[in-house]
Amino acid sequence: MSRLSKKSPSVCTDMPLDNTDICSKLHLLKQILTSCFGPTGRLKQVHNNIGGHVVTTSASSVLLSSVSSSQPFINLIKTSILNHVSRFSDCGLFAAILCLSLIEQIKKSALKESVAIRVNNYLLALCTSYLQREDCGCRVKLDFCSTQNLITLARSVISSKPACVLTEPETFHISKLAVQAFLLTVPCSSPGIVSFGRIVTVPVEGHSVLSSEVLPGLLVEMPDGLSEEDKLLNPLSVVLFSASLAGDISELGDGVIEAHPDVDTDSQILGQLLELGRQVINDEVKLFMCQKVIHPVLQQYLRSHGVIVVERLGIALMEPLTQLTGAQPVATLHTTIPPKTYGKVRDLCIKHFGSKTMLHLFPLGESAICTMILCHRNQTMLNELKVVCQTAEHVLRLTLREPFALVGGGCTEINLAAYVRHKSKSEVPETASVLMCSQTEYLLGVELFCCALESAARALEHDGGSSLIDLTHAHRWMLPADAIKETMEESLGFCGCGLVQSSPSKKWIYLSTKYSDFCPSSVFRDTRVQPRVLDSFTAKLSALQVAVETANLALDVKYIIQDMN
Amino acid sequence: MQSSAASASNPGAVGVLEAVILRSFGPEGGQVLFTRDTGQVLLSRSGTRILTALHLEHPFARMVVECVWKHSSATGDGSKTFILLLASLLRLIHAAASKGSNVSHSYSSTKAAEAATARHLADKLLAFGLKELDELIATGVVPYGGCISWEDFTVEAQTSSLTNNLCVQKLLRSFFHTRCGYTHCDFSSHLTCELLSHWNFKNQLPSFSLQLVSDYFPALHTPVSGFPVRSSRLIEGQVIHRDFATPPLKTDHQPVKAVVLTGSLQPTLLSTGDVLELGYRGRMKEERSILHFSSWMESSLQGVIAKLQTLGVCVLLSAVKQSAAVLALATQAEMCLVECVSEDELSLFSQLSGTTPIWDCSMIESEHVATLAFCRPIQLGAHRYKKHTSITIKPCSLIICAPGEGQIEQYACALQDAIRMLLRTWEPMLAAATTTSKSTLQSHKGASLHTDSLTEQTPYRSIAIQPIQKPGCVLSAGGLFELLLHYALLQHGHSCSVSPDLNIDASVSQLLANALLSVPQKIYSHSPHHFLESQRRVEGPLGDVSELDLGLESVSCKYQLLLAVLQCVASLLKVDAVLPTHTALHTQSRRLARTSWEDTEDEGEG
Repeated sequence: MSRLSKKSPSVCTDMPLDNTDICSKLHLLKQILTSCFGPTGRLKQVHNNIGGHVVTTSASSVLLSSVSSSQPFINLIKTSILNHVSRFSDCGLFAAILCLSLIEQIKKSALKESVAIRVNNYLLALCTSYLQREDCGCRVKLDFCSTQNLITLARSVISSKPACVLTEPETFHISKLAVQAFLLTVPCSSPGIVSFGRIVTVPVEGHSVLSSEVLPGLLVEMPDGLSEEDKLLNPLSVVLFSASLAGDISELGDGVIEAHPDVDTDSQILGQLLELGRQVINDEVKLFMCQKVIHPVLQQYLRSHGVIVVERLGIALMEPLTQLTGAQPVATLHTTIPPKTYGKVRDLCIKHFGSKTMLHLFPLGESAICTMILCHRNQTMLNELKVVCQTAEHVLRLTLREPFALVGGGCTEINLAAYVRHKSKSEVPETASVLMCSQTEYLLGVELFCCALESAARALEHDGGSSLIDLTHAHRWMLPADAIKETMEESLGFCGCGLVQSSPSKKWIYLSTKYSDFCPSSVFRDTRVQPRVLDSFTAKLSALQVAVETANLALDVKYIIQDMN
Repeated sequence: MQSSAASASNPGAVGVLEAVILRSFGPEGGQVLFTRDTGQVLLSRSGTRILTALHLEHPFARMVVECVWKHSSATGDGSKTFILLLASLLRLIHAAASKGSNVSHSYSSTKAAEAATARHLADKLLAFGLKELDELIATGVVPYGGCISWEDFTVEAQTSSLTNNLCVQKLLRSFFHTRCGYTHCDFSSHLTCELLSHWNFKNQLPSFSLQLVSDYFPALHTPVSGFPVRSSRLIEGQVIHRDFATPPLKTDHQPVKAVVLTGSLQPTLLSTGDVLELGYRGRMKEERSILHFSSWMESSLQGVIAKLQTLGVCVLLSAVKQSAAVLALATQAEMCLVECVSEDELSLFSQLSGTTPIWDCSMIESEHVATLAFCRPIQLGAHRYKKHTSITIKPCSLIICAPGEGQIEQYACALQDAIRMLLRTWEPMLAAATTTSKSTLQSHKGASLHTDSLTEQTPYRSIAIQPIQKPGCVLSAGGLFELLLHYALLQHGHSCSVSPDLNIDASVSQLLANALLSVPQKIYSHSPHHFLESQRRVEGPLGDVSELDLGLESVSCKYQLLLAVLQCVASLLKVDAVLPTHTALHTQSRRLARTSWEDTEDEGEG
C-alpha cells in the first residue's frame, strides 16, 4: 500500500490554437524546418544538454525525432510527419512545412476552423485527382528502358541532403550506384511470387566517396586462417547452421541436470560435434557457416581438412545468405544432415577496403542479393550518406508500384496551386453550398490553401533570391538576388525542374503578387529535354495528404488534457 | 467526523463536466487531445474517453463518470448527450426544489427541505421514465422516424453499396461525425457498411454476425500508421499479425492445410522439478549420456514433423515460440511457421475454420487440420504480416490507416462503438417489453387517431404506429428526438392536468420536457436561427422534418440514454453527504475531497 500514490488531476488547455505559447512554438518549428529544406538548405547541429553525440543533419527524420516538446499539440504534428517518413522515407520536410503553413495561414485569417477543414478536404481531393490524371502538368511517366530518369530521381533525393557533403561528380556516382543496386535487387525471371532481393550496406570510413561500389553477392567477415593463395574448386558446397555449435547442452526443459563428477559431458558433446564435422567433410562441403559460435576444436578440425569456417554471422545476414546460397539453415546435431540443405556458392574472393578485409561470396546463378560499399571521409557524413542511400533505394522501389515521378524544384507545388486556383473559380456557388459555407468563405479558404502550397515552394530558396511563376505552364523560376531586371530572361534559363526553357514569348510574375487565374497547360514533351529534378510520386502524394489531414486535425483540436502522473 | 453538504455542489460539479464536453459536442465541436501518463498522445471526441482522462477527484464527478461509462459500454453512443441532459435536469430540479420547498414540511433548514424535494422529484422522474416514457416515444416520436431492417441492408449491400443501405450509412455517418469529426465520416461509414456486409452469414441472425465482429474486432483490424486515412481499406482474408518465422511458401498452390498449435512442438524432457542424473554411481552407460536424451528429443521431433507431412500440413500457427530445431526442421520439410500468434487471432481462426487447436502434436488427427484458400505474406507499413483465408467462409479484415497512432486508436474505438450502437439499434428491448406491453396496448387506440393522419406525410411510409420495441427504429439526427419528445411530454402534461388525480405527473413531464430542450439548444448554439428553424419545423407540418439532412440516430439508443440519465439523477440526489475517511497514505484527503473540485474547475477555465 505504501507504494500506492494518488493520481493527480490532469492539466487542461482550452482552445490550443488561441494560446500564444503554442502558436509561437509552432512558428519556431516551421522556421527550423523551412531553413533545412532543399539542396541549399541549412544544416542543423543537434546536441543534448549532457554533452552527448552531436548530430549534423537537415533530414526531417533525424531532426524531428531529436526535437522533443512537452507540448502534446506539437507532438501530434511531429508524430504524424515522422510516421509518414518512416513509411515513405521522403518528402518529410515538405509535409511538415505545408502542414504548419496551412495552420498558420488559417489561424491568421478570420476563417472559421470548421469551414477551413471542409474546404481543405475538398481541395485535397481536387489535388489528388489532378495528380492522378493523364494530362497532369507536373507528372512525368518513368521509362524503365532507360536509367536516366531513375538516376535523376535518385540524384534529387541525394542532392537534397547537403549534410552528406558531396561534390557534383560524387553525387552523380552515388546516384548511379543507388540505381545499380536497386536494379540488381529486382529479380529478372522468377515465375510465381516475386520477392525482392536485399541490399546489404557496408560502411567504410576514411575513403573517397568515389571508391564506393556495388557488388553482386555478399560480403562476410574474413575468417581466420585463410590465405589468398588457396585455390578452391568451383562451385563450392555450403552448409549453414542456425543453432549454436559451441558445445553447450541442448535445452531439455526446466528440470535440473545433475552430472556425476566422473562423467565428462563436455567431451561427449564435443565428440558429437566432431561426428557432425566428419559428415560435412565426407559430403565435400567447402564452406561451413554458423549464425552463432563454433567450438574452437571443431573449427580447427574443419580447417585442417580444407574447409573455410565462418562463425558469428548474426541473425541479420541469415536471410540474405539463404537467398544467396540456396542453403537451408540446420539446427539438428544428432541426425545426418539431409543433402538438400546444402547450398552452393560460385566463387569466393578476398576484398580489401581500407582496414577491412572481407570475404566476398558470389552467387551461383541469378541472385537478387547485392552489397553496397559506401565510403566517406568521416563518420558523420557517412551516417548521413547511409540514410540517404536507403531513402533513395526506397524511393526507387516505390516507382515499381506507380511508375511516375513529379517534377521537383518547387514546380509541382506552384503548378498545383495554379490549377486549384483555376479550378475552384468555376461553380463557386454550388461548391460553397455543398461545403456549407458562404462564397466568400470558400474563396478565402482556396486562397489560403494555395498560399500554403506556394510557401512550401518558396521555402526552397535560402539565399535571398525570389521565386517567379510563368503564366503558361505555371512552373517555378528562380531569380538570384543580384539579377538585373533587364536581363531577367537570360538569368532565368530553365525552370526549377528543368523541363521548361525560358523564351521571349513567356511572361513571368513574382509569386507573392496576385495573378488572374489560368489553366496551366501541360508541357509539350520534347524527348531531348529531360527534367533535372524529380520527386517521388508516391511519397509526395502521400505527403500532401498527410500534411492536409494533419493540419485539419490540428485545427479541430479544441481542448487538451494532459495527464500529469 | 465532518461531512460536507453534498447536494448543493451537484449542479456546479456537473456543470464543469458539461463545459468540457461542450467543446466536442455538436456539428461545430472539435477534438480533444490528451496525453496518457505514458506520454502517449491520443485524440478523441468520445465523451467517455474525455471524462475518464480528466482523472477527477470529486466523488460526484466520479460517480457521474462511472454512470456514463456504464451507459456507453452498453450502447456505444450518447455519452456527451448524457452529460448535457444530466446537467440541465439537475439545474431544473434544483430550481424547482428551491421554489417549492416552502411547503408545510417541518424541516430544520431550508437546505434540507430543498434536498428532500429534489430527491422526491428525481424519484418521481425515474418512476415516470420507467413507466410512461416508452409509450410516449412510441406515439410521439417513432411515427416521425424510419426503420432500418437488417435484411435490405445486407442483401442490397452486396449489389451496390452506394445507393442502397442508405439508412444504415446515414446512421453510421452521423455517428462518425460525432465521434471522429466531419472530415472522414462518409468514408468511415462506407467502410463499416462494407465490412459488415462481408461478415454476413446466410442463415444466422443479424445480431450474430454483429456480435462476432464486435467480439473479434481486435483480431479483425490492423493499425497502420503513416498513411492518409483514405488508404484504409478492407482486404480479403484474416491477417495474422506476425511474420513467418521460416521462409514463406514458395508456391501459391491451393488449398493450403494448416494446424494451430498451443504448445511447443519440441517435447520437453524435463519439466520443472525433475532431476536428470547423469553417470549414476560412476557407471558409465551409453544410455545414461546426455547425448542419448538430446538425440531422443530430436528424433521424436522429426517424427512429429513427418506425421504433419503425411497429413499434408504446410502451415503451422503457433501460440508460443518454437525452438531453433523446430524452425530448421520445418523449413526442411517445406512448412512455414508463424510463432507467437495472439490468442484472439487463434480463436478467430478456429471459429472460422471449425478446427480445434492442439497442445500435444503426437495426438494430431485430421480434424485438427484446417483448409485455407491461400496463405501469403502481406506488407503493411513497416511490418510484414501473414494473411490467409479459410475456404468455407470469406472473411475480410480491416486496415485502419492514419498519420498518427492516436488517430488510429480513435478510429478503431469509434468503429467498435458503432457496431455496438448498431447491435443495440436492432436488439429488441426485452426488459422494457415485459413491463410495459400492457400499457402500450391500451394506449394504442388513443394514439392511432393522432398519428394515422400524420403518417401519410412521413417520408418513411412503411411505418404505422408501433411500440418502441420494434427493432431498428431511426430518426433524423440533430436534436429532433429531443424536440419531438419535448412536445410529446408537454402534450402529455396537458392531458394529465385535466384529470385531477395525476397532478404531480404533469409537473414531472414538464420538467423533463424542458430539460430535453437543452440538447438541441446546444447543438445549434453556433447558429441560433437554425434552432428556431428546426423548432418551427417540428411544430409545423410533419413532412418538413426530414429535410434537415443531418443523418440519422437510433431511437432505442436514445431511449436507453434517457433512462440511464434518470437513474443517474436519482442516485446522485440520494446521496446527502460525503464522508472523507483517512488512510495512512492520504493524510490530507479530507481537505482534498473538498478542494480538489475547485482545482479542476480552475484548470478547466484556464
